[in-house]
Amino acid sequence: MQKKKSNNVFEKIYMGIIFVFMYAPILTLIVLSFNSSKSRAKWGGFTFNWYIRLFSDSEVLNALANTLIIALIATIVATIIGTVTTVALVGLNRKTRAVIMGVTNIPMINADIVTGISLMLLFRVLHFNTGFFTVLIAHITFNIPYVMLSVMPRMKTISPSVYEAALDLGARPMYAFRKTVLPDLAPAVVSGALMAFTMSIDDFIITYFTKGSGFDTLSTKIYNEVKRGIQPEIYALSAIIFIVVLGLLFASNRMKNVKIKPREMDERKAKGRKVRLIAATAVAMAAIVFLGMLFGGVFSKKSNQVYVYNAGEYIDPEVIEMFEEEYGIEVIYDEFESNEIMYAKVAADNAAYDVLCPSDYMIAKLIQNDMLYEIDLDEFPNAQEYTGPQYFESAQAFDPGNKYAVPYFWGTVGILYNKTMVDEPVTSWDVLWDEKYSGEILMQDSIRDAFMVALARNGFSINSTDPKEIEIATQDLIDQSPLVQAYVVDQVRDKMIGNEAILGVIYSGEAIFTKRENPNLEYVIPDEGSNVWIDAWVITKDARNKENAKLWIDFMCRPDIALMNFEYITYSTPNIAAQEMIEDEDIRTSEVAFPPAETLKRCDTYVYLGEEGDRLYSDAWKKVKSAN
Amino acid sequence: MKKELIQLQHISKSYDGHMILDDLNLTIHENEFVTLLGPSGCGKTTTLRIIGGFERPDSGRVIFDGEDITELAPNRRQVNTVFQKYALFTHMDIAENIAFGLKIKNKSQAYIKDKIKYALKLVNLEGYEHRMPDTLSGGQQQRIAIARAIVNEPKVLLLDEPLGALDLKLRQEMQYELIRMKNELGITFIYVTHDQEEALTMSDHIVVMNKGYIQQEGTPEDIYNEPENAFVADFIGDSNIITATMVRDELVNILGTNFACVDKGFGENKPVDVVIRPEDVKLVERGKGTLPGVVSHIIFKGVHYEMEVQAGGFEWLVHSTRMNEVGSEVDIRVDPFNIQVMNRPASEDEEAIGVAE
Amino acid sequence: MFNNRKTSTVMSSPYLAWAFIFIVVPLGMIVYYGLTDDSGAFTFANIASIAQPEHLKALLLALELSLISTVICFLLAYPLGMMLAKNKMGNQGIITTLFILPMWMNFLLRTLAWMTLLENKGIINGVLSAMHLPLIHIINTPAAIVIGMVYNFLPFMILPIYNALAKIDDNVIDAARDLGANKFQTFMRVTLPLSVPGILSGVTMVFIPALTTFAISTMMGGSKILLIGNIIEQEFTLSYDWHLGSGLSLVLMVFIIINMIISAISERKESD
Repeated sequence: MQKKKSNNVFEKIYMGIIFVFMYAPILTLIVLSFNSSKSRAKWGGFTFNWYIRLFSDSEVLNALANTLIIALIATIVATIIGTVTTVALVGLNRKTRAVIMGVTNIPMINADIVTGISLMLLFRVLHFNTGFFTVLIAHITFNIPYVMLSVMPRMKTISPSVYEAALDLGARPMYAFRKTVLPDLAPAVVSGALMAFTMSIDDFIITYFTKGSGFDTLSTKIYNEVKRGIQPEIYALSAIIFIVVLGLLFASNRMKNVKIKPREMDERKAKGRKVRLIAATAVAMAAIVFLGMLFGGVFSKKSNQVYVYNAGEYIDPEVIEMFEEEYGIEVIYDEFESNEIMYAKVAADNAAYDVLCPSDYMIAKLIQNDMLYEIDLDEFPNAQEYTGPQYFESAQAFDPGNKYAVPYFWGTVGILYNKTMVDEPVTSWDVLWDEKYSGEILMQDSIRDAFMVALARNGFSINSTDPKEIEIATQDLIDQSPLVQAYVVDQVRDKMIGNEAILGVIYSGEAIFTKRENPNLEYVIPDEGSNVWIDAWVITKDARNKENAKLWIDFMCRPDIALMNFEYITYSTPNIAAQEMIEDEDIRTSEVAFPPAETLKRCDTYVYLGEEGDRLYSDAWKKVKSAN
Repeated sequence: MKKELIQLQHISKSYDGHMILDDLNLTIHENEFVTLLGPSGCGKTTTLRIIGGFERPDSGRVIFDGEDITELAPNRRQVNTVFQKYALFTHMDIAENIAFGLKIKNKSQAYIKDKIKYALKLVNLEGYEHRMPDTLSGGQQQRIAIARAIVNEPKVLLLDEPLGALDLKLRQEMQYELIRMKNELGITFIYVTHDQEEALTMSDHIVVMNKGYIQQEGTPEDIYNEPENAFVADFIGDSNIITATMVRDELVNILGTNFACVDKGFGENKPVDVVIRPEDVKLVERGKGTLPGVVSHIIFKGVHYEMEVQAGGFEWLVHSTRMNEVGSEVDIRVDPFNIQVMNRPASEDEEAIGVAE
Repeated sequence: MFNNRKTSTVMSSPYLAWAFIFIVVPLGMIVYYGLTDDSGAFTFANIASIAQPEHLKALLLALELSLISTVICFLLAYPLGMMLAKNKMGNQGIITTLFILPMWMNFLLRTLAWMTLLENKGIINGVLSAMHLPLIHIINTPAAIVIGMVYNFLPFMILPIYNALAKIDDNVIDAARDLGANKFQTFMRVTLPLSVPGILSGVTMVFIPALTTFAISTMMGGSKILLIGNIIEQEFTLSYDWHLGSGLSLVLMVFIIINMIISAISERKESD
């Protein structure tokens, strides 16, 4: 007896530890959702703000609605197909059955990444318009096996005699099936459907590969956010999801208990209850779908749209709303992390977006591969009037004759550092190799920028295609990688503001913003020189909404809009009128926003290096990334 | 008298406040075939599990061969169990199943091989060494379970409804097999069943249990012929159990008619129950018996006819080799020594404890 | 249905068509792309590129981390599964469900939770520094990836192990004890072997997603650590090289098939 008790205590402790392991992170998210400070390490007081923000964040709500709609429809379709097929299986010969089961097992056993990629290849080759329906098809495909594998064992135990008896008594096959076989199958069907629903809601990888432009589920949305720096609304969302799941769990558990307890309740009554339960669930599901449609607007898409693909955090969201209001055009707005990612997407499906905002060298690559639509500057009165001609001239470097691109922003690449945490003035890229700052360095997760740093440090051209120079740069980056805290893109900003790192490679525009938030930060363009870049709007060759795209681009060139964007993202605007309208004297004359000519002399633009050059860099980059 | 092997002394056991066994006392002798008989929930399996060591009694002691083994773990007891659903190790073949206990005891390879051969021969399954359990029929699996237990040479073999899952014919076959094995092995069998026929066929000694109490103990003949209370009478075979009044010694009034009997000592005009086995009810011509009645139903059962006779407001169950047509008017006659008179319990508790107390 | 071959064929044909278009054909496309180059000519180069040091390294690291994660998951889940299975009665069901519950949280939210905990200026370090204890630097290391994998996939190990253990008849355990085995022997010779199917399916359900993940390594590894999943993902989303990506996917499928064969063999051994 004594021994048993101590055993129990041990068990309780063990279960407790695992319990903590599983729930502490979730609890953390919930606590953070009430933290008024954006910093994760500090408690800034209690607030409901993030919840309020969440409910006004239509993007997250859309993603949530999409997730639910996809999961529900996929579950329903998969449950029907899966159940019908499983029922049919018992009537087939052994060989056919084995083939079907074998095929069914594939998505279960296969890695999600392979399933996702294979479907993506199919959709791309068939020129399916990726989006809602491709994701739905993918989800149905991987859900069917869960239903079948759940119903199969049950179906095997059902003897045909009851069904045959019903036929014998004059029932038609469908009626006989509904009255005899289906009730027996129901629990297995329900649990299969639940499983499918769970898998669908939880899926990230397959959705990631099969989703198209302008469509996000919660998973892909969060993944984007994580790469960019998480907004606390997401914590609020996690808390809500957790509470809902927990509530459903307890509700279902209570229902189960109620079902078992009164033994005297006769079966018919139990059945009635079950029917009512199913009916209630169906009503609830219908309600969710309805709400989802309201929010998600999956089927209420206006025909008048423009698909915009821009870099992350690169526009004032209000500007989008203003455009929509002014022109009555719905903007489907997606963000990319790097030019390379944008290119892969557009190369795979040129019609996915109407307007893009790539950088100089990438525009050259797009032009070279005949992926852009030729524009006539006369159609862009704002651009002609307000955008500085010197910027169009610079753009000739990658867009000879200004046939494709309208400049949006420009800037430099430099080092952002926390002046309270460094000992000496930062003037050279070499500081990023200083072991003193091991673990405190943030590098750009972008091929060209990372190599630019290493090439410039060695005094090579930042457009070098000399394999020897690249090898040296590669080795430098490999040597550096143990010192690097992380390779990130948009996160540099938040991490530097939050004192999470001392040095970070960053674009000039972020410098002004971060300095506002954290006065200890300083931006410098190292003496060895750096990159000066121009990002410009272009229209894809197969764009479906070219006219809207033109309206969008010219709208961006309107001085008031350019100013709004400038004040929001603080990159250097090529819009002369907007430049003059800047109220804050410090910023109007800031050397970061508008570097003096002698600084710019040190800087080069990127040029497109050709297929060979690209391959050289991307292979070298892989070497760097897999170095540790 | 044979040597006493197991004594259960004042055993009580309850689960979640639900009393399963209440102050149970039972003695089991060496080389006996003892059957614990009773309906489900009567505590017979719990009794067996206490002997096997899978349950600890809340109070009381288990004495085995003069030693107190109440706290001894099951693996250290000289008893082995044959489980209801066989409980074979599905991941091992037959030989490995049988060898399990011997390997634990580090017996030599040769010894184990011999034992497997011997055990398979004993249960008539020679050559099955390398089959997997789930390829065997229920009866075969049961024999393997027995073989697996007996190779360990236990002093006592516990069998928990081992034939429950088998069909009728197989069950009868196995009953003879079990008797044969018991005689061959010369050890004690403690057998749990709810099947009275099985108990009567195989046992040397039957313990009838109900609601955690022993109702009656004795040889199969004792139990069948002289049930001590209505429960035992009803449980052991079909019976006519009728409330009656003991008029005086050797005379009982059943349904308003006096019948001669052989029982004494119940007092005068005392309410009692009488038990009359259906084969002991004789149907004779009207006027030649004690109680007049009419045949209401008849079924041919092979060895005999089963009839229902309405007499004195009671539906009598009668087994007879002679047929009386439905509607024929008959008299009922019962020989005095075939009337079993029992005290009537006043309450349900008393019924559970039984008249023997 | 049942004995009606014709109806059955009609009923199963929609799925057959679906499965052919959306399962078989896409796999065929991976094979096609994996075995051709840009010009459509047959080549083994894409598959052979796994031997490139950076690919090989990513694959080996992925194998190492997923194996470690699988072992840790097993070691954590098995005792827990035993405890849960022992209490399979009554309201213990809810306890079992509680251990599975995190599965219903979004996969990325779960990973995000650990990011916030482990960051250099994250919760754990905040607590540690408040208590004047040395800080931990786990984020962006392989250890963080392992934590992310274990945390995300642990329920997938608990569930099948629990199911397998709960299915074991108590009588079988009693039988082993009855035949003289002590508790340890009973565990080693009966409980453990009988739970092998559950272990195998748990191992598969942890190992395969861990081996092929790219989200966890991106989030917990700060994009510093590339696993084979990241390499493949980048071929499609960054380098725009479908052929190479498909070729590496084919290599990955080899490991999936190896895993399948291993579990099929050990399962057969069990039931032979």
